[in-house]
Amino acid sequence: MSDAPVIVHADDLYAGYLPGIDILNGCSMEVREGELIGIIGPNGAGKSTFLKSLFGLVPIRAGSVKLGDEDITNMRADELVQRGIGFVPQNNNVFPSLTVMENMEMGTYQNPKAFKAAWSRIGDLFPKLVDRKNQRAGSLSGGERQMVAMGRALMMDPKVLLLDEPSAGLSPDRQDETFVRTREINKTGVTVIMVEQNARRCLQICHRGYVLDQGTTAYTASGQELLKDPKVIELYLGTLGA
Amino acid sequence: MTNRVDRRVLLRALVVLVVAAAAFVVLTAMGSPALAAGTDTAVTHAVAGSGEAAAHATQAGTIIHAEAAAPAEPGDNRVVQQLVNGLVFGLLLALASVGLSLIYGTTGLSNFAHGEQVSLGALLCFFFTTPQPVSLPLLPFEFTIGLPLFPAAIAAIAVAAGTGWLQDKFLWSPLRRRRVSIVQQMIVSIGLSLAMLNFIQWWFGAERQRLTTSIDERIDMGLFSIGISTLWSVAISLVCLGGVAYFLMRTRTGRATRAVSDNPALASASGIRVDKVVRLVWMMATGLAAVGGILLALYDNAAAFDVGARLLLLMFAAVTLGGLGHPFGALVGSLVIGVAVEMSTLWVGTDLKYAVALGILILVLLVRPQGILGRAERVG
Repeated sequence: MSDAPVIVHADDLYAGYLPGIDILNGCSMEVREGELIGIIGPNGAGKSTFLKSLFGLVPIRAGSVKLGDEDITNMRADELVQRGIGFVPQNNNVFPSLTVMENMEMGTYQNPKAFKAAWSRIGDLFPKLVDRKNQRAGSLSGGERQMVAMGRALMMDPKVLLLDEPSAGLSPDRQDETFVRTREINKTGVTVIMVEQNARRCLQICHRGYVLDQGTTAYTASGQELLKDPKVIELYLGTLGA
Repeated sequence: MTNRVDRRVLLRALVVLVVAAAAFVVLTAMGSPALAAGTDTAVTHAVAGSGEAAAHATQAGTIIHAEAAAPAEPGDNRVVQQLVNGLVFGLLLALASVGLSLIYGTTGLSNFAHGEQVSLGALLCFFFTTPQPVSLPLLPFEFTIGLPLFPAAIAAIAVAAGTGWLQDKFLWSPLRRRRVSIVQQMIVSIGLSLAMLNFIQWWFGAERQRLTTSIDERIDMGLFSIGISTLWSVAISLVCLGGVAYFLMRTRTGRATRAVSDNPALASASGIRVDKVVRLVWMMATGLAAVGGILLALYDNAAAFDVGARLLLLMFAAVTLGGLGHPFGALVGSLVIGVAVEMSTLWVGTDLKYAVALGILILVLLVRPQGILGRAERVG
């Protein structure tokens, strides 16, 4: 994996929602093709903001983001989708008044001809969605919505998938299912960058982890190394259930 | 694809119609003795025969009370007549309201300037069709266009849709880009409404303008009578509203419009050009408002600069009643409001007819806060 080319490179990002108030104060990250990256950190560290800034949803005031060799800093979300980046938000991640199938159709909005093949592929990954294809997404459970959200983002067959706390609000067994799915998606060759509150579970499946603290990337190491790191255990993982 | 959704919507609409029909039967039973009188100064739409007297204005405060020229024909039923008038008025109101609902759905904006788009549509049609000399604002010379009504209406709708494009390009889109809050945008729309109102008055004058001088021939259908041009208006309304429904449910861009309505940020993250969809919605909304304005002007025989401003509250009521941001809700809400407005004149004074409609709005919202077709969403 360390020989694979760099696909996403964020360099010293400063970003925030409101003018003059930076939430990110120098975040950097280097992701190689095919990696599964976990971003962990305490509440308010700027994990979700970091992910959103990569996807152009939070304005970057300084620093740069590159996809391969192309500068994609502050690019519009629809342009990033065109370039092969998919994003699954933490909340409000489905179109509630649209059916499951219409949600999926929105995933291939830029390339409608790809819908049939993509829907068949997503149907294999999430068979439950096929059963519920005519149901309104707003009437689905949290776990099912998460499937719809991930399915929609995967419809365009992205090179890079950004997941914002995919296990948030799910029951433990649904959380496990989400992590297994994420691993499966990554194994198909999709580079995954995932923000997670469930740091232990996240580090167990990811190749590398980034620890964010107060808007900066404090340090990075492999998932297994971070799981054993005394400082990470003390600050973010706790000592129970190791 | 959306059978299940459609069935739910249809079921709700059916329930509303059944309730309305039941209310209609009860009210007919209650009101029939009083309605047996041959002449009624409060009712204007039922007037059959002389088209000149049929000045059935629907604007608040400018109702022209035309006395029936002759006693009602045997078999005439004024309850049915008012119901038909209400449905016609509701359909025309729906044309204007659907656009308001689409704009609210996709941008969250309660556009107070939408009424002026209705007036603009009607008066632009007058501008293109009148055989008398007209002039453009700030130009010192006059000229005559005098197109036939149909091409003039098409031209008016195209220009009105163009104003929607211009508004979004140079006003609403920059405001959204600068993240101006929705309340501030609403205040801007109030300002724009006043500016447009004054501009239209300055351009066309304060008097009512007639789009056509021909007298509408009325067809006696037994229980009610209806003008031929009104029948055409109904047909055009149904085609336009059916077109909007087809666009929203069956086309890719229409489904993207519903997606933007649901969640603009997620729509953008799915690769949808939200700004393009919103601009299209603005053009559709202003175009439909113009169609509504023109047909209402034909229905009322004339239009004044403030015709839209007088309708604005009814449009908001229709949109809220049907379910905020739900385009089919705007249609159902408009029909309920239209029927309530026209039917109420059988029992209460015409001065109160809008009060009755808005009273129904309050009652429905007390029972069903999300509106008739609005849906309570599952949380989590």
